[in-house]
Amino acid sequence: MHDGSGRIVVQGLTKQFGPVTAVQNLSFTVEPGSVTGFLGPNGAGKTTTLRMLLGLVTPTAGTGLINGRPFHQLGNPARVVGAVLEAQGFHAKRSARDHLRVYAAAMGVPDQRADQVLQLVGLGAAGDRKAGGFSLGMKQRLALATALLGDPQVLVLDEPANGLDPEGIAWLRQFLQSYARSGRTVLVSSHLLAEVEQTVDQVVIVSRGQTMYYGPLDNLRQSQRSRVLVQPSDTGALVTALQADGITAIEQVPDGRIAVTGVEAKQVADTALKAGVSIYGIQEEKADLEQLFFQLTNGQYAAPGVAQYPPQQPGGGSGYYAPPPGYQQPGYPPQGYQQQAGSGYYAPPPGYQQGAPQGTPPGTPPGTPPGTPPGGYQQQPPPPGQQQPGQGGFGGGA
Amino acid sequence: MTEQMNYQTGPAGPAPQYRQPSMLGNLVKAEFRKTTTTGLWWGLMIPTVLIALGWALATGAIGKGLMDVVTSEDAEQLTDLIGISPDQWQVSLFGMARSINVATIFPMIFGGMAISNEIRHRTITTTFLTAPTRVAALGAKMLVYVAWGAIYGLAIVAAVSIGIAITSDVDALPSAGGWLAMAGVGVLSSILMTMFGVGVGALMTSVVGTTVVLLLYMLIIENGLQLVLSTQGLPELIGFLPNGAVNGLTGSVASSLFLSTAGVVPTELEDVLRAIAGALGAFDWWLSGLIFLVWTGLFFLGGWAATQRRDIT
Repeated sequence: MHDGSGRIVVQGLTKQFGPVTAVQNLSFTVEPGSVTGFLGPNGAGKTTTLRMLLGLVTPTAGTGLINGRPFHQLGNPARVVGAVLEAQGFHAKRSARDHLRVYAAAMGVPDQRADQVLQLVGLGAAGDRKAGGFSLGMKQRLALATALLGDPQVLVLDEPANGLDPEGIAWLRQFLQSYARSGRTVLVSSHLLAEVEQTVDQVVIVSRGQTMYYGPLDNLRQSQRSRVLVQPSDTGALVTALQADGITAIEQVPDGRIAVTGVEAKQVADTALKAGVSIYGIQEEKADLEQLFFQLTNGQYAAPGVAQYPPQQPGGGSGYYAPPPGYQQPGYPPQGYQQQAGSGYYAPPPGYQQGAPQGTPPGTPPGTPPGTPPGGYQQQPPPPGQQQPGQGGFGGGA
Repeated sequence: MTEQMNYQTGPAGPAPQYRQPSMLGNLVKAEFRKTTTTGLWWGLMIPTVLIALGWALATGAIGKGLMDVVTSEDAEQLTDLIGISPDQWQVSLFGMARSINVATIFPMIFGGMAISNEIRHRTITTTFLTAPTRVAALGAKMLVYVAWGAIYGLAIVAAVSIGIAITSDVDALPSAGGWLAMAGVGVLSSILMTMFGVGVGALMTSVVGTTVVLLLYMLIIENGLQLVLSTQGLPELIGFLPNGAVNGLTGSVASSLFLSTAGVVPTELEDVLRAIAGALGAFDWWLSGLIFLVWTGLFFLGGWAATQRRDIT
């Protein structure tokens, strides 16, 4: 039987649909007690990953474990994990209550549970209506009600906010947080960081079927250093002065200003004053999380030197779509961004990731947010090879 | 949250050997609810009963008309001459066999919906998420559809019996034992037809495709094949075809029962009688049943294997 830990472990998951690699060597761990966001652009392989975890899709390689077990060894799985995978999955002619009573019977919970979950998701008055007449938002609620029937320890939701009205989204947010706070595990996927930003404590960011980052959202926020844009009277003198102070992360911005990363505006101004350089304008730029997400999921934005990027990559926002399969092959040229200061959180480029641990931040800042389970991802062993498929290194904590 | 505590101490729960049968019971209950919470079962039950009744009434009337001719004063001399006594003929047996064969088309369609409808409505996702394994989910479904095949079979036998009794002469009706035998093979063929449908539906995965293929094959394609085979002098092959085999199940019983009570019947006439019963080229009822069971098993296991391995995306 399963270990009751509430932990989700994904190890080296790979799925090949014919010539298309939907998911490539994906690894991450989701701990109980927090809401984990599973983020990535459309076509990043989120749904396929969740379906592999739930035993609906057979992985080409790797394993997905819930409570230390593959889905099919959970016994009565719906009592361990509930899933909202799509706002479909209802017989159009079956009433909402009947739908729930069917699956209540399957998982062996009393029929009254159907009415309880209907009330819980706010469909109490619609129980006798046929699911075919439901709006998208109501279907989402019914899907959630189905997932909650077995009072599961682990809740997996794929884009649950689709079709929900703002009130519904606010409710869902609060619901998921309280669910996690009761010591359970919540994994919620989304292609919009903004949608889940206020809900999640931890994030797993994937792009092109690979893990780009996983860890606390706060670490991601902190990793995004602010930069100061300065318009000095004498650029050369200011750069020299800053370098003398040990500040080297200086860039020339196209508009003639210089951008200083990792310092506060005050420090730049003080240095300029000491060096006798006038400042005509100074501005602190705090890149927002959404922009960071965009960078993580779009290779070309992560690399400051755009020229370093292979020419096949079309420009603009095209990175939002799954790239052609050829892109995911090993041997993908490494990009410049790993040299950037503070970018240690980013996963190395794909060619690099074969068998290496992914997204393990070297040196987690001490400000790990409350709610992070003890030994959260710090537990992830950094040495390469440890995350090879088939290794049972994760279950050890249970 | 006390409930939650139970899960977290879950490993100490009931032992696996206790859990297994109750799990299957749960799944059977769930599958049965699936069939009773939509209108499909009665939507198909109405035409089933109407067709069974209608065919039984018609075939009973035809049989009666035939017997009126055969037993008339004019024909008596002829029948005496060739040494047969038609007043013993239980012609209604043929009507029963034919009516049962036609009506079992509907439980077959009902079976065809079992898995294809779940795939169409994407309820298969939740079905697999709420079952320990796909084997368990499909096993429960199989049990439920066996039961539904029997329910349809009983309804068919009842409707056919009523229809035949209304239009046939009392003399032309089977004995109690004969009726029981017909009822038995009627229910059996309904169950097998249902399972055949389940298998085809699981392989095809499309509701419309399954229905069209099943109807086309059973009503048109195989009849064409049978016609070709019998004109090519190979009628014995008909018994190996799915429809020929399942028809043989009821048809063979009907003709055996008929012959056992009909007195002297010339051998040349036996093939004609089997053809009337819809069992031309068919084997004994049990062999026909076995052959159709093989067909059913082939499609059912094929559909099962496909569903077992399919990626639910």
